[in-house]
Amino acid sequence: MRCPPNAGRPNRVVAGRLVAIVLATISPLGACMAPRPQTPEEALIARGRQLFFNETFAGNGRTCGTCHREERNFAIDPTFIASLPKDDPLFVAEQQPALKQNFENPRLMRGQGLILENLDGFDDLANRFTQRGVPHVLGLRTSIASPQGPRTGWSGDGAPADGSLRAFAVGAVIQHFTKRLDRVAGVDFRLPSEDELDALEAFQLSLGRQADLTLPLPLKGVVAKRGQEIFLDNTLGKCNICHRNAGANATLGPTDAGNANFDTGVEDLPDQPADLTGERMPPDDGLGIPGNRTFNTPPLVEAADTGPFFHNNAIETIEGAVGFYDGEAFNNSPAGRFLASTDPDGEGIELDGTQIVAIAAFLRVINALENIRSSVELLTRSAAMGFSERQEGLRLLRLAIHDTSDGIVVLSGAGLHPEAVTDLKAARDLAERAATSLFGRRRTTREAIQALERARSQMIDAQP
Amino acid sequence: MRRLMKAAVLVCVSLATPGPAYPQKATEQFIPLGQSPGASGKVTWIGEIVGTDPAQRTLSIGEAQGTHTVKLTDKTRIFLDRSKLKQSNVTGSIADLQKGRRVEVKYEGPGPTPAADWVKVEISQP
Repeated sequence: MRCPPNAGRPNRVVAGRLVAIVLATISPLGACMAPRPQTPEEALIARGRQLFFNETFAGNGRTCGTCHREERNFAIDPTFIASLPKDDPLFVAEQQPALKQNFENPRLMRGQGLILENLDGFDDLANRFTQRGVPHVLGLRTSIASPQGPRTGWSGDGAPADGSLRAFAVGAVIQHFTKRLDRVAGVDFRLPSEDELDALEAFQLSLGRQADLTLPLPLKGVVAKRGQEIFLDNTLGKCNICHRNAGANATLGPTDAGNANFDTGVEDLPDQPADLTGERMPPDDGLGIPGNRTFNTPPLVEAADTGPFFHNNAIETIEGAVGFYDGEAFNNSPAGRFLASTDPDGEGIELDGTQIVAIAAFLRVINALENIRSSVELLTRSAAMGFSERQEGLRLLRLAIHDTSDGIVVLSGAGLHPEAVTDLKAARDLAERAATSLFGRRRTTREAIQALERARSQMIDAQP
Repeated sequence: MRRLMKAAVLVCVSLATPGPAYPQKATEQFIPLGQSPGASGKVTWIGEIVGTDPAQRTLSIGEAQGTHTVKLTDKTRIFLDRSKLKQSNVTGSIADLQKGRRVEVKYEGPGPTPAADWVKVEISQP
């Protein structure tokens, strides 16, 4: 490679020589600070990350990360979509003539964050399709196992082949990465190799929580604390029956049903935003061909900062999502009628406004606590990285800033824990300062961690 | 409490979908024969069609381990795998299950004649 000429730039020449001298002087130190060797599992996860965000599988330019954005909690929503440049691969249906018809509906994608899926087959592309939101992929370790096997995607049947998370990428490539609607393997895309599937699975399983919470938590806020009580009360909120410990697993009487599917009547909601657009929205029949109207249970810990909610992005706010269970669509559904059948008064879920807000406050607080847990983990890993891993350290810092910002939004959106919000803002400022600091990065990062710990202590008593 | 237990058992049957995990059949159509991860060679048989029985709605496949017979149900999906021709895979019908054609059959359920979840028929001639 030829170096660019430096004629007319004497200062740069001198500066460049100085840098070269300094680097030569400290190179033995750099060698001492070489990154520690990765374990085989870490190497697999790192390869999975690379594939998830960079591999197009010889398709239309999309990657897994096109829709599952790391800085957006591995999901996507209309506000974020509006910030993307026109040539972002998300918009391939607007850019590539072969994908202009029956691949996406740009209006529903931009306005409602909905992605087109042909879950009932590809024989009638103009009429048989569904429009679904992008589910986050956090906490998969705890949220897809059932006695019948893994349940992936919004209806639990997201993956072809053996139906596993490992096979999920194959279906995603066929549905979303294709160059043409012919979808010929080896022409319009290439299928992931076995090794790539292993890596993608390992990466996805590494994201977010690795274990469920154990409720009740010693919360300090009176509203969130009451919300937790209602959540856990099987005669009032009844939330814990299907979302045990605010996760994705159900306990039906004596039975651990794992991650289950239910028909909760979301499809019967009136005035759904996507329907109001007048765009074609065929009913989504859920699991199977033909579908049985059931959808998979998502975890709730990550809910408050990953809206809009439900498979069709029908509800924008966490309060609205909780309120759904107090409505007619749910209480007339098979799941609602089941709950009514177990109730002494024959009621499904009957809540008042303050109770809905209390449950939502609880969900906001546990989401913020998860933001803090994740931020502390990211900052700790970042601070442990040496000079030669600076870029990776910065990447972790930026993710921690996103996570901390989410915590601020989630709490302040409902006026919860203002003191904790102040600490979270301080933590974010410190993390931002650490990201631009040449020599004080570790110290500033540790101060950010301390601010996060203070925020947590505002929200929850120390647990033994 | 007894009422709750009874209802819980009922809901386990009616709401928490019974049976094995439910792999998606839609995109399966475009996976070439023998390339379904975790399924091909494990819960599938790959071989030649040695016979069909329209009355019994069964399909027999010959492969190295012997001959296997599967039931064709209303839920069995038949795909024509034209990927060797660089053409789009399409759905087929029982009429496409012709003797001598190479197929991959995903079977499910116990017994000597399990049900076919899907059948991929390799189309290698235009």
